[in-house]
Amino acid sequence: MIETKHIDFYYGAFHALKDVSIRIEPHTVTAFIGPSGCGKSTFLRLFNRMNDLIDGVRLTGECIVDGVNIYNKSVQVDDLRKKVGMVFQKPNPFPKSIFENVAYGLRVNDVQNKAFITQRVEESLKSAALWEEVKDKLKKSAFELSGGQQQRLCIARALAVSPSILLMDEPASALDPISTSKIEELIHVLKQEYTIVIVTHNMQQAARVSDRTGFFMLGELVEYSDTKKMFLNPEKVETQNYITGRFG
Amino acid sequence: MKHTEKELQALKDAVSQMWMLVMSQLEKSEQAFINNDMELAREVVSREKRVDAFELKIDSDCENYIALYAPVAIDLRLVLSLIKISITLERIGDFAEGIARHVIDADCATIEPEIMKELRCEDMFAILRSMLSDSFTAFYSEDTVLSGRILSKDDEIDHIYRRSIDVLAEYLADHTSLIRCGLKTMLLIRKLERIGDHCSNIVEEIVFYVDAKVLKHQG
Repeated sequence: MIETKHIDFYYGAFHALKDVSIRIEPHTVTAFIGPSGCGKSTFLRLFNRMNDLIDGVRLTGECIVDGVNIYNKSVQVDDLRKKVGMVFQKPNPFPKSIFENVAYGLRVNDVQNKAFITQRVEESLKSAALWEEVKDKLKKSAFELSGGQQQRLCIARALAVSPSILLMDEPASALDPISTSKIEELIHVLKQEYTIVIVTHNMQQAARVSDRTGFFMLGELVEYSDTKKMFLNPEKVETQNYITGRFG
Repeated sequence: MKHTEKELQALKDAVSQMWMLVMSQLEKSEQAFINNDMELAREVVSREKRVDAFELKIDSDCENYIALYAPVAIDLRLVLSLIKISITLERIGDFAEGIARHVIDADCATIEPEIMKELRCEDMFAILRSMLSDSFTAFYSEDTVLSGRILSKDDEIDHIYRRSIDVLAEYLADHTSLIRCGLKTMLLIRKLERIGDHCSNIVEEIVFYVDAKVLKHQG
C-alpha cells in the first residue's frame, strides 16, 4: 500500500506540491491527471525517490510504502527501487540484447544463477505480453523492436526484479493506438499482481484503465475518487471543467 | 477478448437477462389471465421489482460505459440501443404487471366467454410472445432479417385491437350493466396493443444498432 501524509514539495522556491495526502490500495490502478505543470509527475516520482536526483529540492510530510516512510534515512534507495519499478514516457531500452535488457536488473543485484535469470526473463516477458513476439530473437538488439514492443520490454525489465508497485509516467504517449491498446490491456492484467500508478495526459486513458483517479491542479490534489464517479459526477467544479475540456 | 469488449459483453448479458425475465413475466401474466390464476398473478406483481432493478442497473452501467470508454460507431449505437431497450422492456414489464393486477381484481368474470373469444386476447398474447422472442433472437444474433416479420406482427396486433373496440362497443350497447367491466377489459386489451408497439420499438433499436438505420416514424 502507498500512503502520503501532508506532502509538500519544492523545486528551490517553487512550491510544486501542496499538502497532498492520498492512500493507494494494493492491486489497484490509480491514475493521476491534470494540466502540464500541475505536479502529477512530481508526485509519482516521490514513490521511488526519483526526485532525489534533482538539485535544490525539498520535501516535507510522509511518503509511506508498505508501512515504511521511504524518506527515512535508513531506507536504501536501491532496495526501494526493487520494490517500486518505473516505466517512462519514451521507451528507453539499453543498447543490449532483448534478453540482457530484461536480465539487467537481476545482474546489477548480483543474481548469478543462470537458470533463475533465464526463468525470470521468460516470466517477465510473458507478463509483459511480449514473449510470443520475441522468444525466437532474444539475442537480437532491443533497438530492433518497434516502439510499442520496446515499451513492453521496459515493462518486462521493471517486472524482472519482482516489484510490488509499478509506476508509469505517460507510458503510451509516444505510441500508436494499437500499441497503446496493448499497454492498456497489459495494465488490466498486471493489476492482479501489482499496484499500478499511472500519470497520463490522456483523460480517456485514465478512464479506461484506472480504478481510482486523482486530479491535480497547481500542485494541489483537487479531487481523488473512484474513476467511475470522477468521470460521471465529479465533486469539484475544477475537475468538471478540466475533464469536460472547459478548463482554460 | 479486450477489457472494453468484456465490459460491453457484460452490458449485453445484463439486457439479455432482463429480456428473459420480461418474457417470463408476460407468459405468466398470460397464464394467470387465461386460467384466472390469482397466485400466479401475484407472483408476476411481486417480480416486477426485479424488472425495475434491472433497468436501474443497466442505466447506470451504460452511463459508466459511456463515461469511461467513450464508445464510437457500432459500440456507441449498441450502448444507446441498450439504454432504450432496457427502458422499453421495463415498460413491457409494467404492462405484464397491469395484466396480473387485472386478474387479481377479479371483478370482470361476467363478460360472456363467447365475447371474450371474439376479442382474441389469447391470440394477442401468442403474437406478443413471438414478437418478444424473435426480437431477442435478432438482438442476440445481430441479425435484422427477422425485423420485417416482427414489425408486421404488430400490424396484426393493431388489427385485433381495432376489431375488439367494435366487438366490445356492440356488446356493451346491449349490456349496459357491464360497462365498467367492459372498460376494464378494454384497458387490458389496450395494454396488449401497447406491448406490441414496444416490441416494434425494440426492433427499431436493434436495426439502429446492427444496420445503423433509423426506422422510427416511417410507418
